[in-house]
Amino acid sequence: MKTMFTETDLLNPVIRGASAEIEKCRHYGFCTATCPTYVLLGDELDAPRGRVDLIGRMLENGGAPDPETVRHLDRCLSCLSCTTTCPTSIDYAKLIDIGREYIEENYRRPLLDRLLRTLIAKLLTNPGLFRLAMSTAVLGRPFAGLLGKRLGGMVAMTRSMKPARSAFEGHRVIPAEPTAHRVALLEGCVQKVIGTDITDATVRLLVRHGCEVHKPAAVRCCGSLPLHMGRGHEARHFARQAVAAWYDSIVREGVEAIIVNASGCGTTVKDYGHILIDDPEFAERARIVSEHAMDISEWMVKVGLVPKISPSLKVAYHDPCSLQHGQRVISQPRELLKKAGFEVANIPERHLCCGSAGTYNMLQPEIASQLGERKAANVERTRADIVATGNIGCMTQIGQYAGTPMVHLVELLDWATGGPKPPALASLL
Amino acid sequence: MATVMSARPKSAVDAFVSAVRDVVGERWIDMAAQKVERYGENLMPSGDVPVSGVIYPADTEQVRQIVLLANEHHVQLHPVSTGQNIGLGSRAPVQPGQFVLELGRRMNRIIEINEELAYAVVEPGVSYQALYDELEVRGHPLMLDTTSGPPQGGPLGNTLDKGAGYTPYFDHFYMSCGMEVVLGNGNVLRTGDGALEGSKSWHISKYGLGPYLDGLFLQSNYGIVTRMGVWLMPKPPITRAFFFSFPDDDDIGEIMEVSRHLKLNSLVPTLLKVTNDIYALGTEARFPVDRADLRKSIPDDVRAEMQVEHKIGSWVVSGAVYGADDDAVENHIRLIRSFFERSGKATYIPQEIADRNPMLRIHSDSFVGKPTRDEFPLYEWRPGGGATWILPVTPIHGEIAKEHQQLSRRILGRFGFDYICEHVVGSRMSRALHVLVWNREDPEENARAKACFEAFIDEYAAAGYPVSRPPTEFQPYAMNRLGHSFLDTCNDIKDALDPRGVLSPGLYGIGLHRDAN
Repeated sequence: MKTMFTETDLLNPVIRGASAEIEKCRHYGFCTATCPTYVLLGDELDAPRGRVDLIGRMLENGGAPDPETVRHLDRCLSCLSCTTTCPTSIDYAKLIDIGREYIEENYRRPLLDRLLRTLIAKLLTNPGLFRLAMSTAVLGRPFAGLLGKRLGGMVAMTRSMKPARSAFEGHRVIPAEPTAHRVALLEGCVQKVIGTDITDATVRLLVRHGCEVHKPAAVRCCGSLPLHMGRGHEARHFARQAVAAWYDSIVREGVEAIIVNASGCGTTVKDYGHILIDDPEFAERARIVSEHAMDISEWMVKVGLVPKISPSLKVAYHDPCSLQHGQRVISQPRELLKKAGFEVANIPERHLCCGSAGTYNMLQPEIASQLGERKAANVERTRADIVATGNIGCMTQIGQYAGTPMVHLVELLDWATGGPKPPALASLL
Repeated sequence: MATVMSARPKSAVDAFVSAVRDVVGERWIDMAAQKVERYGENLMPSGDVPVSGVIYPADTEQVRQIVLLANEHHVQLHPVSTGQNIGLGSRAPVQPGQFVLELGRRMNRIIEINEELAYAVVEPGVSYQALYDELEVRGHPLMLDTTSGPPQGGPLGNTLDKGAGYTPYFDHFYMSCGMEVVLGNGNVLRTGDGALEGSKSWHISKYGLGPYLDGLFLQSNYGIVTRMGVWLMPKPPITRAFFFSFPDDDDIGEIMEVSRHLKLNSLVPTLLKVTNDIYALGTEARFPVDRADLRKSIPDDVRAEMQVEHKIGSWVVSGAVYGADDDAVENHIRLIRSFFERSGKATYIPQEIADRNPMLRIHSDSFVGKPTRDEFPLYEWRPGGGATWILPVTPIHGEIAKEHQQLSRRILGRFGFDYICEHVVGSRMSRALHVLVWNREDPEENARAKACFEAFIDEYAAAGYPVSRPPTEFQPYAMNRLGHSFLDTCNDIKDALDPRGVLSPGLYGIGLHRDAN
């Protein structure tokens, strides 16, 4: 697709980058069939090639974008299913992030919208505040119906969330005896509060396989959530903090890999090299940190899983979009589950997002619930005993709609290699 | 691109739209330009074919009512199923101003899967991926035959366009059984045994009583098929693909001679894919602009360099065998090797090695009926986004295959494009899938591509062979090459089944006689 940027426009590296991606689009349309919002809404402007056009026109026109453009771009899940399908390899992730940041800087949203988005961005990236909010939500639950679709939905969503403390909280280094590897572990912001079983299972699994685990204190949020809300400055600020800390771990402590067990975060960490490419102070370190980032499933395949028990259970594996489309990590979780003795079932329409998509189920609850219900129905079709996945966002989202017990992949791997049975499976056997 | 209204007066079209809204509901007809114009997009040299609107019916009864309304208001309809038909240019109609009947959005139900009798019954919107997923949750008792096109294409649409796959069930029409069709006159036809009220054998018994009508709805515009039976193959315990690389262009002669023997004697159950160098490496590589002139065919010396870089020869042959266990398939492959390796030119590539190469893994996926999207990067071999398949027929005969290669290379060389070809080899004929890739943003190159396609139709016809599945833009041109009363008969049938010509006029050149008259 031809763009109409002026030579002056193209002096801006962001516009130049966007233009190069937009011009790759041939309008083949393969992306439409795999785009969740197009599948649900059937509107070309809610499909990737429509959004590519909208972003192009918005940047060409300059100034404040029109509300229709904002509406269609807000509806994008950033699931990146389109990037798996696109034969011309458009970097849609880059393009939608540019579009979102442009909207954030040039469009004045209604007051309630602004407040809600700020609340989400601040709460979810700060475990202390998030923990406090979880406690407050208990008080708000009886009034959830009065709080409007989005805020009420968020409060209702907390029903299944139980804030807890990790057994390894405050531990900066967890040793392994003997130590064969040294790795850093990213604890996701939300996971630190409501997913401590995941963190604990990951640490036990790593240590059991000879990996000394480092958790640098300076690493806070990875920047993923603000990045996908168009808050690029905040995202880059978090990214710089993390890059500085992990680079130090790599160079001084000999950390071989940065392990991520929240795949939404993993996609962002693997993209640090691109996110900070225009920052001369951090670009090189960011590239090195990106190259060290690995999903826990990639790392465990490399290390070699040593199972001790063989649970004869059927597991439906849900591919988080950030893993299957963002990182192209598809075979590793299945390989590990099979090695651990589970029967693995693929979920129909596995390319379609569950509707979690970071903060999407809070900001676009209607579309998210349709996707959640669709995913849950597909899960039930597998008749599996358990659903496993690699991202806490997907667990929360699918858990709202599916009756099948939901666990993180690492909880099953931990169990199969000598750890405790995952709490979610307590009633199963 | 703007949408265009039908050639009918605005009042007639408005009345049609209003009546259709009453049938399908307000939200299931789109007239907004930004949605509608996508259905008229066309990658072919002559460009887009604007349409008037898009209608999304829910079932056969709604389709029937819409067809009756089209007859009443003299409005034209163009049905599409699922997928984009990008391999053949687009899903746009031949002539502008038609209303697209989008069957993929709501008529996408798998009506039945019968595991014992090994068939499925599908609506037009069921994609290969959806059918594959359904078989997967059932533990793959049955296997699909897919095309190498993207997973969102579907069995019904592909069958109606005379599409084919690669497994023993490759002949999609032969493996279809029983259709429900809304004819252009609004009658609803059930073919074969389905014509019997309460039939229990509609989708297992092909030929029924009386004339066999199913074939009328292939590559035609006589009716809208709203359901179809698809026979499925029991999934074999073991599938093992095999690959051979041949070094020279003229090895196609030897390959075809061996292939004919193997296929006619049922020594290979799948079709054989005989893929030339650029077709095989073009899914990953791009035209080497640093070493060759984009306005000309890639030179042989550069092609030779790329063969070395990608560790393939001029041709790669692949196929697969099925068996009960590893020993059975290994013994079978040993037998096949003894034929292909007899002259000493072939290099055998085991599947475990081939599958590390994404371009060869596409072949392995095809032989187990797994939908793949990996072939389409081939369209980016040259910049500019113009692409289509050209599918002339080639006999499985060594000398003729060599002549056809020379003919294709001559045509493509004359117009400055590359020979990108995969023969899909059966017992007697192959479909020679040529891929034409050009820069459609360059008017001069667009004109060359158009002339090149027409030269293929003309020069293959002069040699006695048709181009079997032309894109919509070239369908009237190709059909007009046929004699022996063929097109006249097609038009007579059109007059009988669709007397007001409301269905896709011009599709496969049928129904244009009214304009001429």
